[in-house]
Amino acid sequence: MKKRAAVLLLAAVTLLSAAGCQSGSKPGGAASNGDAGGKEAVELKFWRHDFAPEAESLNKLIASFQAKYPNIKVKMELIPNDQYETKIRTALAGGNPPDIMALDGPTLASYAHQGALLPLDEYMAKDGNKDDIAKPVLESLTYQGKIYAAPNNDASLAMFYNKKMFQQKNIPLPSKNPDEAWTWEQVLDAAKKLNDPAGGVYGWNPTPWGFAGHEGAPFSEMSFLWQAGGEILSPDMKTAKGYLDSPENKKALEFWNSLYNTAKVAPKELPQDAFANGKVAIHVDGPWAFGSLEQNFPNFKLGEDYDVAPLWKDAKQVTPNGSWNMAISSKTKYPEEAWAFLNWVTGVEGSKQWYQDTKNLPARLSTADAFQELKEYPMNIFVQQSAKYAKPRPVTPAYPAISEAVRLLFEDVGLGGLDVDAALKKAVTKIDSGIAQVEK
Amino acid sequence: MNLLSLGVLRKRGSFVKGFKSGVYDKQETRAAFLFIMPALLLLVVFIFYPMTRALLISLENYNLISGSSSPAGLDNYKQLMSDGVFWASLGHSFYFAAVVIPLQTMIALGLALLVRRTFRGVGIFRTVYFLPVVVSFAIASTIFKLIYNKDYGMLNVILKGLGLPVADFLSNPDIAMIGIIILCIWKAMGFFMIVFLAGLNNIPDSLYEAAHVDGAGPVQQFIRVTLPLLKRTTAFVVIITTMDALKIFVPVYITTSGGPAQSTSTIVHYIYETAFKQMNMGYASAAAFILFGIVLLISVVQLRIFRTDVEY
Repeated sequence: MKKRAAVLLLAAVTLLSAAGCQSGSKPGGAASNGDAGGKEAVELKFWRHDFAPEAESLNKLIASFQAKYPNIKVKMELIPNDQYETKIRTALAGGNPPDIMALDGPTLASYAHQGALLPLDEYMAKDGNKDDIAKPVLESLTYQGKIYAAPNNDASLAMFYNKKMFQQKNIPLPSKNPDEAWTWEQVLDAAKKLNDPAGGVYGWNPTPWGFAGHEGAPFSEMSFLWQAGGEILSPDMKTAKGYLDSPENKKALEFWNSLYNTAKVAPKELPQDAFANGKVAIHVDGPWAFGSLEQNFPNFKLGEDYDVAPLWKDAKQVTPNGSWNMAISSKTKYPEEAWAFLNWVTGVEGSKQWYQDTKNLPARLSTADAFQELKEYPMNIFVQQSAKYAKPRPVTPAYPAISEAVRLLFEDVGLGGLDVDAALKKAVTKIDSGIAQVEK
Repeated sequence: MNLLSLGVLRKRGSFVKGFKSGVYDKQETRAAFLFIMPALLLLVVFIFYPMTRALLISLENYNLISGSSSPAGLDNYKQLMSDGVFWASLGHSFYFAAVVIPLQTMIALGLALLVRRTFRGVGIFRTVYFLPVVVSFAIASTIFKLIYNKDYGMLNVILKGLGLPVADFLSNPDIAMIGIIILCIWKAMGFFMIVFLAGLNNIPDSLYEAAHVDGAGPVQQFIRVTLPLLKRTTAFVVIITTMDALKIFVPVYITTSGGPAQSTSTIVHYIYETAFKQMNMGYASAAAFILFGIVLLISVVQLRIFRTDVEY
């Protein structure tokens, strides 16, 4: 009996450790309020995901900011990438968020909808040089008519191809002109010739990280639907029914299915560094790839071994956009000071410094204009695509459901062997119930 | 809280030995109460309170970020009843448990029988089998992800070398769960091997000698002596494995993120996604409570089945 009770108790305890973590955790500790004694001294808490080269640049910007505003101290806390979102969300739930936070584009509407972010319109109008920010980026940061974040940089994707493999198979190289993107059919045609299952070479990897469990997958997959001429949501963002399940999207998904299951040119599991190792002939990647390829694969050279072409198109030319931004918590006690820092980092001068240090695709037109290399190959492809063809992901608090639905939609079709109609029906149901949930 | 503590006391009263009426009774109750107090306090603060909160949240439309909520009554539970993804993830968890519980228990017992005998180098075997237990689950999962890769993983390179078909554990929804199962058994079998080893060492040699004298062969000895006397150990192993199996999360999160095509999305993974990615805390709490009810029921049934009167 004793043992039984003990085991039962043990059972309950072990179980509840699972249930317990579901309850809204409320971390202790007061918000940093700066120095109570000095009237002027202010300490700002700033959280960011950890990425070494970017953290280094931020440290420089913080140092120069503090030199200009000696009364303000910025305390940056770096959080491991995979824990960042959970940590921010628990801090927001606990009512103890940092004054300034790094914000991934698609989470903006959820946070803004819950009143967690400070609208920046007033500040932007005052000294934020709003008109200098690329239109599609600004659109992605605007929820219900208000701007809630300032961009550190933008992001885009382009077609990377193994030049030597193309030459071996006598395939004409694609144009480097951002306005002359290859069509899906052209890419597939080349991919079929490049595909070599015996040699372990895949012709075409159409999504940068493969079937990843994170935002990287829908980031590229949504553009795929838009390229076919499809939509994800109704214009008022109230439903996916009749939009996501359109004939255009069906066609896109059938094509997607063929890449993985009939033509078999695309890898169901993307191996590490597949492109640099010559296991993938046509790849898709962003401007961040140049730095890491140069560092990790010095013998795999741009212009010799690989080249870049604009992202493929179908009925339309559409490229994804949106990256990391900075936002101010609605709970901050020092909105003026927080904005001063935000604008120092993301403003006209800060953006230039940021580009120089990180080589990220700039979100500001003045930055794109200031560096000659951004007007030249290969960066000009990304810059011009972003200006002309970028389409932001839907800015709605239901975005988490949309992102997940789109990710699973492509997985269901590519890997799951699910019929396109059934997969679309599932995705529409998921998105619509996500929208209904937000409206409760 | 007083009422609660007394309730627990009363429930446990039967095992406070020498439970008599009178003055002693009162004193004993008071003493027992004092002894239980610290543990109870911890339980209340860290288990019962959060659990009650979670129960209340499960009855609300509760967004993770805003913390604002509106009453939902039983809507979350009702909606869950018709949520195909929820039931599918519950199904995945039970499939996982149904395979892992018997298989892992048998393997652990088999290993324990093997390393129980004393021979030169037995310590090495015991250590090697126990080693995976010490490795962090996150690291083990990351390594298995590399081993499983369809084209370049070690497993498939070996399979190809042997002329066998490739096992695409990470991209084939039909077998992905098996990949997770292998990882989890590899990881946990060493621990339960040690538990069984302790149980085996508790069985007096005299019983085997007696059985031997009566003419029982090794198989009969195992079935008639070892197994019945291991019942309590087995009960412990099976119950703990059941709970672990139904709560499996880390290897799923790291190796497959619930994919491909949600084929490895277990119930806890579903709860995590709903709470922290979809930020729908109320709905996730409701799912957690349904899971709690199910596991509690299973535990009670298991405790009844494994009730034993054999003493040694």
